[in-house]
Amino acid sequence: MNAIAHDPDLELSDLLMQIAGGDRRAFGRLYDLTSNRLFAVTRCMLRRPEMAEEALQETFVRIWQKASAYDPGQAKPMGWLATIARNQAIDLRRRAAERETDSLEDDEGHAYGVVPEAHFSFEMKRLRDCLALLPEDRQDMVLLAYYQGWSRDELAARFSRPVTTIKTLLRRSLAILRECIDGKL
Amino acid sequence: MASSEDRDGLAAEYVLGTLDEAERRDAEHLLQTDASFRDGVEAWEKRLSPLALALEPVAVPEQLRERVMRAAVGDQPRAATVIDFSARARRWRSVAVAGWAVAAAATGFVLLNPAALPPTQGRFVAVLEAEGPGPAFIASVDIARGTISVRAVSARAPEGKSHELWALGGGRDKPQSLGVIAADFRIPAARLGKIDSAALGDTVFAVSLEPEGGSPTGQPTGPVLFTGKLVATE
Repeated sequence: MNAIAHDPDLELSDLLMQIAGGDRRAFGRLYDLTSNRLFAVTRCMLRRPEMAEEALQETFVRIWQKASAYDPGQAKPMGWLATIARNQAIDLRRRAAERETDSLEDDEGHAYGVVPEAHFSFEMKRLRDCLALLPEDRQDMVLLAYYQGWSRDELAARFSRPVTTIKTLLRRSLAILRECIDGKL
Repeated sequence: MASSEDRDGLAAEYVLGTLDEAERRDAEHLLQTDASFRDGVEAWEKRLSPLALALEPVAVPEQLRERVMRAAVGDQPRAATVIDFSARARRWRSVAVAGWAVAAAATGFVLLNPAALPPTQGRFVAVLEAEGPGPAFIASVDIARGTISVRAVSARAPEGKSHELWALGGGRDKPQSLGVIAADFRIPAARLGKIDSAALGDTVFAVSLEPEGGSPTGQPTGPVLFTGKLVATE
């Protein structure tokens, strides 16, 4: 065994390439390697487990269909996969909100777990440090939106600010994050 | 003209998921048409995805794996169900692969394409399936023995209801009841009327959900759950 074979990113990239060629076994292997991490993404966005499961299913349908669009030069495989999972969860959450207007309101406090800081990736440490530049309520806004799919309206209600103010605060916070993450601060 | 700062704010909030509906539509349009906006979105995905990757994994319920495989990869497990069922069904599958048996939709009935008429004798089988995965019933007609038999593969009527089998097309001007489906359902093929391959080739089987004991009117009253066409198996 050599070190290259154990690089998880490389293995996932390889699997995606095989999946793009229609390899069902590679797809099963990718599921086994990544489904628990992707389920964490849909699960924290969607309170109801059956919706989180539906989002995970849609995620893998997309992966099967879109694997050929994955470009290892553009993104790390796990980040690419997590983005798909998050987008599916956001879609589903939005559709559910359209159907039943008040069903998502008791979302607050819905728990999700983050790995111990000691296990943070380099990128996550940097992001944590950049988030720390923001006032606490802005940090919460960004995290509630990112992890739990909160809309501006929901944030406005929670933080007792007008929706337009929430938009301004989010945009400003994101601009600060960008400068910090990109190393321009 | 939006400033580049506004543009990037739109990309950022698109990734964060906080745009309102009109803005989101704008962003989706730009994603299709504007490469620099697309790059902006990708950069934001990369900036924020460490958050998603820092989540503690959550165990996925085991039964989800098969469901996901079926939804994504499609026909494989479904075909496997048919293959395991019987030699006749195996033949059905190869016919289906050749494009004869169009997957039956739950709405409306499609008559067989004349070019796909089955050969002149032997056995015919119809796989009655819902829109979901997996065949629900397999109905077969054995001309030599003069029987129609139906085997349930994955369908059970709800409490207080019955599944009723119907024949349509093949010269019928309205659905003909073939009876309520019970365990090991078998009826004389003569019930289908004149048995010839052309008529059988035009026959569509359907299963409707009826009050317990079958339709009170002699015509389907409940929803049509499954349909399938006859194809030759030998």
